[in-house]
Amino acid sequence: MDTLSNLAFGLGVALGWQNIIYCFIGCFLGTLVGVLPGIGPVATVAMLLPFTFGLGPAPALIMLAGIYYGAQYGGSTTAILVNIPGESSSVVTTLDGYQMARRGRAGPALGIAAIGSFIAGCIATLVVAYFAPPLAELALKFSPPEYFSLMVFGLVAAVVLARGSLMKAIAMVCVGILLGLVGTDVNSGVVRFALGQVELADGIGFVAIAMAFFGITDVVLNLEQNDKQEVFTSRIGSVLPTLSDLRTCFWSIARGTGLGSILGILPGGGALLASFAAYMFEKKIAKPPRAFGEGDIRGVAAPESANNAGAQTSFIPMLTLGIPSNPTMALMVGALMIQGIAPGPQVMTERPELFWGLIASMWIGNLMLLVLNLPLVGLWIKLLAVPYRLLFPAIFVFCCIGVYTVDNKIFDVYALAVLSGIGYLLLKLDCEPAPLILGFILGPMMEENMRRAMMIAFGDATVFVTRPISAAFLIAAAALLIVIAAPALRAKREEALQE
Amino acid sequence: MRIRAPKDFWSGLLFIGIAAAFIGLAQQYKMGDMHRMGPALFPTLVGVLLAALGVIIALRSFVIDGPPVPRFQARPLIVSLAAIALFGLALNFLGLVAAIVALVLVGAWATREVKLVQTVLLAALLAVFSVAVFVWLLGLPLPLWPTS
Repeated sequence: MDTLSNLAFGLGVALGWQNIIYCFIGCFLGTLVGVLPGIGPVATVAMLLPFTFGLGPAPALIMLAGIYYGAQYGGSTTAILVNIPGESSSVVTTLDGYQMARRGRAGPALGIAAIGSFIAGCIATLVVAYFAPPLAELALKFSPPEYFSLMVFGLVAAVVLARGSLMKAIAMVCVGILLGLVGTDVNSGVVRFALGQVELADGIGFVAIAMAFFGITDVVLNLEQNDKQEVFTSRIGSVLPTLSDLRTCFWSIARGTGLGSILGILPGGGALLASFAAYMFEKKIAKPPRAFGEGDIRGVAAPESANNAGAQTSFIPMLTLGIPSNPTMALMVGALMIQGIAPGPQVMTERPELFWGLIASMWIGNLMLLVLNLPLVGLWIKLLAVPYRLLFPAIFVFCCIGVYTVDNKIFDVYALAVLSGIGYLLLKLDCEPAPLILGFILGPMMEENMRRAMMIAFGDATVFVTRPISAAFLIAAAALLIVIAAPALRAKREEALQE
Repeated sequence: MRIRAPKDFWSGLLFIGIAAAFIGLAQQYKMGDMHRMGPALFPTLVGVLLAALGVIIALRSFVIDGPPVPRFQARPLIVSLAAIALFGLALNFLGLVAAIVALVLVGAWATREVKLVQTVLLAALLAVFSVAVFVWLLGLPLPLWPTS
């Protein structure tokens, strides 16, 4: 009952005309940028961040959330029509979505993606509303040792679910933590690792890092390979799926939503894992006749529902614990900090209008996406026809302006160039950037909590294992590592992520 | 001994290098002890962990097989980074309009299929759009023209 009244309160906030407009702009811009091939949600959110600087915390966060699921949805449009996933979470959508498009069923594929996303979004919003408050209450009881161990667990879980080598991913987390420590140490006031640069006293800009690793680096890699893709822009036909399509997909959407909601909460989960898992699950469980890989509509409905549900529930750890579970959420944490709000469980009690307004706005945002996408599909398709040689300079411009306007520092633009070079090198060596970003955001928090924990415990490091909740997190983290490192399971994980 | 996983070998070395740099730099700050952790302690701990991982990754590359390091293409990377740096330089002295034009005109050469007329038009369009949206509509404090 309480949740319902809170939701109603949130709806009141989200339905303010101002917030509705920002939610709409967010969804619109997010889809617009997300449709562009090769730009994922992280780059989209980072690029559009400056649009929110002039706003208050609640509208800014609502708009960013809109950008996030807009980008998510835009990515699937690209996946279906061009066979290029706009982002990693729509990779599986290309499998059946593109095949549907080749068979002249692009319209229904787009339609079912929108409908599935909408249903999933609505249900996931409820999940967030019901699960976030108890978790936040629990988290309020955490003291520094628990927080430190929770962060260790979060990072380990995120790394385990990342692609590629586990060892390299942990190393990337460490690199991220170290980069995050650059700048003034809050505790002693010492400026660390600044190499004599005054600008580095505030640390390396997180927007610069995110844009470098997920925006510029991706563009450069795209420019290296110039294979042409067939775009189905000619005739899409009706975007409305037939009644029998809907009947076929009903349970797929339900299953996708369920799986997505659960996997989204896990650290490192979010949309990517959700869509992969949903597709594989669907492939096993769907009723015959099955035609997965050859344009089965359920192969679009399930992962699309799952990735939207996952995108939404991945807000839970961010909102309640202040711990981002994926790079996009790391950006959200950064955006909150820019707004002068320390992310964490106290946000729910101290800024209820922000907390519940955001949750309620997810509902509205999903409705907007549906309304926006079905009629506007034609516009998005036109965007896809823009050649990449005209697109990428525009991406550069928005990245540069975005990175400068965070702090109005020219230095950040130079940092963007340097970090892009580093990101390029790392990607060429198969070092995934996502763990680095998480480490970067969590690094300073980890140091702070470890320091406090040690202070209270008089330097006794066993405090992390003698306090039950903290020990539980560490044991869970260790168990995850052991499970993944075991060879038999590793093979399975490779197989799963490869599919 | 033969390097069988070059990507791992080089990333291992890279991690060791980064770790060494941070550990080395950290030594000029106070280490403190576990009870009162100085500013040098945490970075050193993480640095040691990173170095250890780097060593394992590098050594492992002699044992397990891995793909070769892909070729680096100079053009897209160098042109892109140069264009971004140029944007910073131009923004500082010449203002936003010139910076955008410079960024687009230079950055467009990152691909071989550049077309001059289109690029010039694109530069103009992006400059107008950015000024209208970021400066006029959003009111972000960006210098538009050269500051003397």
